[in-house]
Amino acid sequence: MTHKLSDGGQVLQVGVLARVEGEGGLHIAIHDGKVTDVQLKIFEPPRFYEGFLRGRSYTEPPDITARICGICPVAYQFSSCLALEDACGVTMPDHITAMRRLLYCGEWIESHALHIFLLHAPDFLGYDGAIEMAADHGPVVEMGLRMKKAGNDLMDLVGGRSVHPINVKLGGFYRMPTVAEMRKLRPRLEQALEDALATVELVSTFEFPDWEQPYTYLSLRSEAGYPIEGGNVVTSDGGAWDVREFTQHIEEFHVRHSNALHSRLDGSDAPYVVGPLARYSLNFDRLSPLAQDAARRAGLGETCRNPFRSIIVRAVELVYVFEEALRIMDAWRDGQVPSVPVPARAGEGFGATEAPRGVLFHRYVLDGAGTILDAQIVPPTSQNQPSIEADLRVMAERWVELSDHDLSHRCEHAIRNYDPCISCATHFLDLTVDRT
Amino acid sequence: MTPADEPVLLGPLVVGLGAPDRGDDAVGLAVARSVGVLGLSGVQVTEHEDPTGLIDLWADRGVTVVIDAVVSGQPPGTVHVVETGSDAAALPESAWAGEGRGGTHALGIAAAVELARALGRLPRRLVIVGVEAAGFDYGTALSVPVAAAVPDAVAQVLAVLHGEDGRSPRAASAPEG
Repeated sequence: MTHKLSDGGQVLQVGVLARVEGEGGLHIAIHDGKVTDVQLKIFEPPRFYEGFLRGRSYTEPPDITARICGICPVAYQFSSCLALEDACGVTMPDHITAMRRLLYCGEWIESHALHIFLLHAPDFLGYDGAIEMAADHGPVVEMGLRMKKAGNDLMDLVGGRSVHPINVKLGGFYRMPTVAEMRKLRPRLEQALEDALATVELVSTFEFPDWEQPYTYLSLRSEAGYPIEGGNVVTSDGGAWDVREFTQHIEEFHVRHSNALHSRLDGSDAPYVVGPLARYSLNFDRLSPLAQDAARRAGLGETCRNPFRSIIVRAVELVYVFEEALRIMDAWRDGQVPSVPVPARAGEGFGATEAPRGVLFHRYVLDGAGTILDAQIVPPTSQNQPSIEADLRVMAERWVELSDHDLSHRCEHAIRNYDPCISCATHFLDLTVDRT
Repeated sequence: MTPADEPVLLGPLVVGLGAPDRGDDAVGLAVARSVGVLGLSGVQVTEHEDPTGLIDLWADRGVTVVIDAVVSGQPPGTVHVVETGSDAAALPESAWAGEGRGGTHALGIAAAVELARALGRLPRRLVIVGVEAAGFDYGTALSVPVAAAVPDAVAQVLAVLHGEDGRSPRAASAPEG
């Protein structure tokens, strides 16, 4: 709704920004047709996870921090495991790392399938939401639900539950799934891989605004394979550093309009981006030939800087993770230990993994008994806040002549390009527009 | 459509919806377990956490009962019964718009119902038995008024099943599902 201001300007207020996780708002000030200010206001209250981890045992963060988010608990589990295992000087055997990657594939599938079909596709196809879209595009929604179910089943199998897995522990798992159990799931994943390839083709036909981001991209990069459950940090500016150096390069700071800390890279005030576009653009060579081919057929180059095309990149990533899940399952053999001991020792540990929406970093300081003295969590949405604001500054100016309703809708679409998770970031959205 | 063309519907489904370790959110699971131990012939009883997963479960069913915790401002333990299904009118938009459009990464039960309706995958009759919750704190047990409401909620489930076959549900030699 629009309110007249005493100075002749206008304030547009729209309800809570839709289809994002958590509570927040967006304020846009427009003066003489120019956007003068954009503030992404995350007013979901601070959640103090880092505070209440202090004084707890080093074995607890995988279970506690998983509760930060219902859509990416595995990311929290494995970033915390990596950091705590680093602090204790323990490296995981390859088979445990492979099983972590398999569970993480399940989380990417659940998250990407939900976002592409139920949250983001309605923006491109002109619907208010998935329910309205389903009435006209039933088979498309059915395809998305099929893939999401395959992800749920994979999470069930490896994690013990499709929401908030319970099978993860420091040092590995409580129980490993068996070859026989994996074999039962295989036909569903094979079907889902075909669905994922069809998804890339489908979303590549959407109309995309013509714009490319000039920001620095940051992601993990692994020795082999597309980065998921670990790796070192690389940037599009040529930066390459160990996760242990994360806090030397990434500085968190508070801005008045948000309860979620912003981040800056190497002291620069220019935004940087984490998530699918960064991962893809910095790791195209690490994708499988099938995923690379699907991307090329969808019109993507080896890098992608158009945030609206992130829906294609997510679909390409779906292709990759279905293939990857099948590969890991085919190579699995029974009888391997589910976990290794992680004895406590005093020290500081660092861990980062690629959550579906970008790099998630954890740092812990332990005493000799394993009590947590300090904890730091840097979630992806928090890192992406400045780039979301910067995108909107450009986009809102293009859309300034639109009606209040259409402007709101477009801004929501631009925000959903990032699949933001506001509850993770407060650690998101009412929209207000000042027109003067 | 002639009777011979009509699809064969599967037997009744009872779904407890909720998380086991979030206080009163577990009430749907508690009710489903109480119904499950009765071993009712021809009735599948299951538990679920993700409402979107229900669309697969209840498609092709004649009747489905979903038990879930609700918050409507009524006193904790109040049992609500909502009748819907492919033969019934849609839920009011106010029941799902907040979650289907404005919600989060996960759809709630009402959004799952209307998404299933749009896809033509609702059971003929869907009954939602809601139990008014007091709290959803992690790691807590059911609150006293919600625990006390479980027998009433079970009775509502049995009444639906009874109404479907016109007789009292009876125990089978082994539970199904």
